[in-house]
Amino acid sequence: MLEGLFAFLFQFGDAFAFLVLSASGLAIIFGMMGVINLAHGEFIMCGAYVTVTAAQAGLPLPLAIACGSLAAGIIGIILERAIINRLFNRPLDTIVATWGISLIATQGTLILLGSTMPGVGTPLGSFSVGDYSFSEYRVVLMAIAVLLMGGLYLLFHRTRYGILARATIQVPHMASALGVNTKVVHSLTFGLGAAMAGLAGGLYAPTMTLVPTMGTAFIVESFVTVVVGGADVFLGTAPAALILAFIKSGMTGLYGQLFGLIGLLLTVIVVIRIMPRGLSGWLLRGRE
Amino acid sequence: MSDLASRSAAPSGADRAAGARRGWRPWRLLARLNGPQTLGRGPAFWGGFVIVCMLVGIYPLFSDGWTVGNTAYFFTWTFMAMGLCVIWGYAGALSFGQTAFFGLSGYAYGVLTLNIGSAYGFTFLALAIGVGMSALLALLLGYFLFYGRISGVFLGIVTLSVTLVFETFMAQTAGPEWTIGSARLNGFNGMTGMPPLTLPWFDGELVLWPDIPLYYLLMGMVIVCYLALRIFVNSRFGNVLVAIRENPDRAETLGYDIRRYQLGAFIVGSSLAGLSGVLYTAWGQYITPNSMGLYAAALPIVWVAVGGRSDLTATLIGTLAVLWVFQTLTIYGSQYALVVMGALLLVTVLFAPRGLVLGLVDLAGWASGRLRRNGPASGQEDA
Amino acid sequence: MAILETRALEKNFGGVFVARAINFEMQPGEIHCLIGPNGAGKSSFFRLILGQHQPSAGTIWFDGQEITPLKSFQRIRLGISVKFQVPGIFKALSVWQNLEIGLQYHMQGDSLSAEIRQVLDFIELTDQATERAGNLSHGQQQWLEIGMAMSVKPKLLLLDEPTAGMSPQETAKTGEMVRTLNAEGMSILAVEHDMTFVRQIAQQVTVLHFGEIFAQGTIDQIVADERVAKIYLGKTNEA
Repeated sequence: MLEGLFAFLFQFGDAFAFLVLSASGLAIIFGMMGVINLAHGEFIMCGAYVTVTAAQAGLPLPLAIACGSLAAGIIGIILERAIINRLFNRPLDTIVATWGISLIATQGTLILLGSTMPGVGTPLGSFSVGDYSFSEYRVVLMAIAVLLMGGLYLLFHRTRYGILARATIQVPHMASALGVNTKVVHSLTFGLGAAMAGLAGGLYAPTMTLVPTMGTAFIVESFVTVVVGGADVFLGTAPAALILAFIKSGMTGLYGQLFGLIGLLLTVIVVIRIMPRGLSGWLLRGRE
Repeated sequence: MSDLASRSAAPSGADRAAGARRGWRPWRLLARLNGPQTLGRGPAFWGGFVIVCMLVGIYPLFSDGWTVGNTAYFFTWTFMAMGLCVIWGYAGALSFGQTAFFGLSGYAYGVLTLNIGSAYGFTFLALAIGVGMSALLALLLGYFLFYGRISGVFLGIVTLSVTLVFETFMAQTAGPEWTIGSARLNGFNGMTGMPPLTLPWFDGELVLWPDIPLYYLLMGMVIVCYLALRIFVNSRFGNVLVAIRENPDRAETLGYDIRRYQLGAFIVGSSLAGLSGVLYTAWGQYITPNSMGLYAAALPIVWVAVGGRSDLTATLIGTLAVLWVFQTLTIYGSQYALVVMGALLLVTVLFAPRGLVLGLVDLAGWASGRLRRNGPASGQEDA
Repeated sequence: MAILETRALEKNFGGVFVARAINFEMQPGEIHCLIGPNGAGKSSFFRLILGQHQPSAGTIWFDGQEITPLKSFQRIRLGISVKFQVPGIFKALSVWQNLEIGLQYHMQGDSLSAEIRQVLDFIELTDQATERAGNLSHGQQQWLEIGMAMSVKPKLLLLDEPTAGMSPQETAKTGEMVRTLNAEGMSILAVEHDMTFVRQIAQQVTVLHFGEIFAQGTIDQIVADERVAKIYLGKTNEA
């Protein structure tokens, strides 16, 4: 009984970590810039590829993951400067453009690096509770997910960049009137979102097969989390990830993987009917 | 303006019914072929239209059945493109998940015909049922989306998620337990072996393999669909759709329940995606979960964006052009085709936001010193 | 029976009141002006009447019927029409089509075209019928929207700053239009800053301040009210 409960909690924590890690980059870019980044999966893929390459070159895994995240972030900043900022206030066109980037990135990777790449093994060992055996690395991922939310909170509420970034979304004309370079803020924000995606890719790289289309494994879950959560990373993404993780791990445990996914989708469709602006929009209702 | 306040703001139902009866005159419908929502009017345009139709019509005489059958393949996709043009270009709601309807109807056609066969023209009934299922799904999904007042980007994400979940679902149906009657869903490899469209004919049956008869059937369907949609977008309904696209709040404060209109456009467009799915499945006698995946879902967006989403004619021309380019690329270097598609999307969005075909039309209009769109508003002639 | 009435109407956004205990009443056939300093809650009051905001408390009555639970488009269908502050026209569409979209709900065919021509004549845009609405001058865009709003012959016409950005001549002409519409039986509620214009058209004036009704009366009473002058009119009269 207790073992079963622990197994469920582990599944739940694992699903939560996956949702938080894969969605936070998308949520930052959407919440701060109103941009839906359809190349999100490709930033994840980029992070994973760079991480594995660095690890195989001899770097310790944590450092390699940092490289992956950094690489995705830099590419994010470049793309923002080159393309995204030209489409300011054209949200639908931004979606189309990021989809174009996604197609080029996936297929370009396939052409340049081939259909698959040798990975690195999952680090750390496993531990068992009763008859069940659990991966220790997954526990590390859960801890990182929680730490990441805390870190982002500090970043947006305690640092100069974070305060300027929030000022830029809340009162753009005021921010620019006060001398904030909103262009730089947008570039950094997009870069940060891309780096978060890269981080997710790096963290999950040891657990997955590296293929150019690996981003799609993350994309439905991260979109669903952002839609349910709404525009606020802390009041939206985190609670949404909790709820969705519960539904997903519950449905998966009872009926299997596919029903976990279908459960997620049904939740989204019902949630948007009740709260069109997501959880955070609902929590912040009246404060328009 | 003498009787300014004599009419109540909302006419009674009887008044409106009488108005509708007066309005039901076929030639009035035909007049809607031209209108402010569609490019092209007058003898020059329609003359050109007839010539193009004739050229497309005599083309099979100068080619062989196999090539003509392959050209017919292009036609199967145009319905999905025109449907997306209505949803995105005219109603202003970007759906990324049209392939969900494509796949649903395609699989429905497969399951039905594998179980019942193709006798007595059943394949056409299966076509209608397949399209009807898409309409029903669009009604359900659209209700949640539009009555939840989902705005632009969220609409895209939810519809995309729907099609990706469909793909995931169909991909895991490889096991023998996934059969409906005698039709095996067959997981990632997809369903095969369903009969092509089959017409009961004088001496037995006319089986429409990818060959010249199918080409003519599809060509006819494309023309009918194109003309019908021109009437649709120039109708009162279409007027409200573009009003919602331009300024939803204003449209609502003119007394329109904008959710119903968006839902209507979504159902029409999605049924057309379903029609494409059935025709595609019947054309090649197979359908796979890939047809609902991320890349398949991107294709309609590419066609419509590159052609010019705000006009049916531009969308139709753009779709056929992009399909042709894509196929040519696939022959000479398939792996680069998707890169080129992505680049095409970027270039269009950055440099010709209205689409390449419309961009060329604008350029031509500018060069000849006038923009055709700014010509006389047709409302005066055909109202 | 009042054409428009609000009872104890309240709206607050996270503790900030944009409407507080508003008991407003307006009689059929009246031209009523709503004035008040910026941020007094005038536009929010319009949004509440139109159903674009849901009130936190209180009820709204139109022509003897409670409309508080109705959606925006349902209220419009009862006979309310509005011209927004920022021109709410369809800029990419022609002037003709703008009017057609407003009117086609009520009529079609030849009577529709005839009616559109009449409205075009009334707002003096006959020559611009085929022009893209976005290409019109600012004043003409305002008139087009007034045309869209009045063409459906509402019982109550809401005008949010109908003369904003207009030249004095255009303003005077707009005043004439409003008076013509009123003479034919339409009740009109207008938010307006231009006191000359208010003087030209208003029979009754309500002053809003911090989301509350501050004063009410005829234009002369309001102008004579020193408290009102203090919060608002002082500046505007000189301007």
